[in-house]
Amino acid sequence: MKQRTLVVITAGLSKPSSTRLLADRLTAATAGAAEALGVRVESRTVELRDVAHEITDHLLTGFPPAKLKDVLDAVAAADGLIVVTPIFQASYSGLFKSFADLIERDVLNDKPVLLAATGGTARHSLALEHALRPLFAHLRAATTRTSVFAATEDWGSDEAPLRSRIDRAARELATEMDRREPAVVTDPFLLTTSFEDLLRG
Amino acid sequence: MQFGIFTVGDVTPDPTTGRTPTEHERIQAMVTIARKAEEVGLDVFATGEHHNEPFVPSSPTTMLGWIAARTERLLLSTATTLITTNDPVKIAEDYAMLQHLSGGRVDLMMGRGNTGPVYPWFGKDIRAGIPLAVENYALLHRLWREKTVDWSGKFRTPLQSFTSTPRPLDDIPPFVWHGSIRSPEIAEQAAYYGDGFFANHIFWPASHTQRMVSLYRERFAHYGHGDPDQAVVGLGGQVFMRRNSQDAVNEFRPYFDNAPVYGNGPALEDFSRETPLTVGSPQQVIDRTLGFREYVGDYQRQLFLVDHAGLPLKTVLEQLDLLGEEVVPVLRKEFAALKPAHVPDAPTHASMLAAKLEKESVSA
Repeated sequence: MKQRTLVVITAGLSKPSSTRLLADRLTAATAGAAEALGVRVESRTVELRDVAHEITDHLLTGFPPAKLKDVLDAVAAADGLIVVTPIFQASYSGLFKSFADLIERDVLNDKPVLLAATGGTARHSLALEHALRPLFAHLRAATTRTSVFAATEDWGSDEAPLRSRIDRAARELATEMDRREPAVVTDPFLLTTSFEDLLRG
Repeated sequence: MQFGIFTVGDVTPDPTTGRTPTEHERIQAMVTIARKAEEVGLDVFATGEHHNEPFVPSSPTTMLGWIAARTERLLLSTATTLITTNDPVKIAEDYAMLQHLSGGRVDLMMGRGNTGPVYPWFGKDIRAGIPLAVENYALLHRLWREKTVDWSGKFRTPLQSFTSTPRPLDDIPPFVWHGSIRSPEIAEQAAYYGDGFFANHIFWPASHTQRMVSLYRERFAHYGHGDPDQAVVGLGGQVFMRRNSQDAVNEFRPYFDNAPVYGNGPALEDFSRETPLTVGSPQQVIDRTLGFREYVGDYQRQLFLVDHAGLPLKTVLEQLDLLGEEVVPVLRKEFAALKPAHVPDAPTHASMLAAKLEKESVSA
């Protein structure tokens, strides 16, 4: 069976959070959709809260502490990503953006990414389209057509509409992961030009 | 192996008193520290070069020339000489002059400088940092080796029939190190010329330094300068010592917490774990420093940062006493015992002169 790796980034602040709940639902649905395509998905979920201090340290010192480096390396090596943020003040949370700011250039090139968010009210659902999608377009990620927003009311009412959005997005992500070769991590120490070329200017 | 100190020359308030030294006091402190380094038996004093506040050393050869006149053995170096914004012609002249005045006690460490606003003040652009470092150094390398130079390039006015004066002492250019925190191109540059590579080391985790040094060693061999373990490597280090390690931690913490670069960031304990920073007893510094060899191999130069973040002069001089009396003698012995015979020492003017005379007598 084909193997692919999935990294799930969740920026919820409380434990447990509805953001994590949505992340888990998307992870399970993606694994299921991939299975149907003959792909076994190995997933790892990262709560940004657990590396919040390290994220700040990296911003201030210029290098990632070991615990955060491990997460950034996992993101670079992943065949697909699910990113889930709470919507604060009409956009992604500051912690989520700080983490995004630490993703090196080219790391997300053509990497399938499923965008998701949670919020108190469905009136914020388009934050996915006006905030998260441009951010990941800038990072040159291959975002899925469907993004998933879960408002408070989604958790308390008929589960079918949210489930159908989750399943649709998960199928799209699984399809993108399936049709690509496994991710290749570029070595930052690898020189792309010879010194003679550099000398020629 | 060479041991010494490197300084950035920052003017930083002492967080325990709130007092900021004047520029004059800081400059006087720097030269006092340099003379103390010789007195306690260290080999190298290296000054930074900065053209913005809160730093004072904008004119390294003026300072090093003064120190040269008041020391006997101390090797004078830089950390770093800005190869991007300085005119390579002026570097060639200034450091050749310093060679003559100091009796050859000079080497240099090239660096790019990472302060964006400084570049335009010198008519340059930080985005061209690597191409500037490559072109400028290529010219500098020629100016010290060829008497008459015709040259044209992208970043400065062309030269026709130019001779840089004075010629290097005994026609031996100063040894050059290339310093870099994270650019593999600079490790490649050092390897290409067979020059030394200095890993800043103190701001990044060991795993990173290990990769940079191993890249340099591998490429040094690729360019035919010797085996990888014969490449010339220098490392930075950062220490604060008291006989009782808890005293060192307590005394250094306010300086760490408010330091430029990493202040108000990670905790002292975290930064000590992630980087080579060692705050503790002289024995802890000895053990940690000996451990560097395990991931970079046998290396030639160890420089410590001891005088930043607003530490008072008196405290810095005490640090130098501890380095000179307790730490460096042990490190010299231990490193020497571990180093295989085929691994060279860092070139000095004396060693390069001896090699040159031997070569001439063989060919004569």
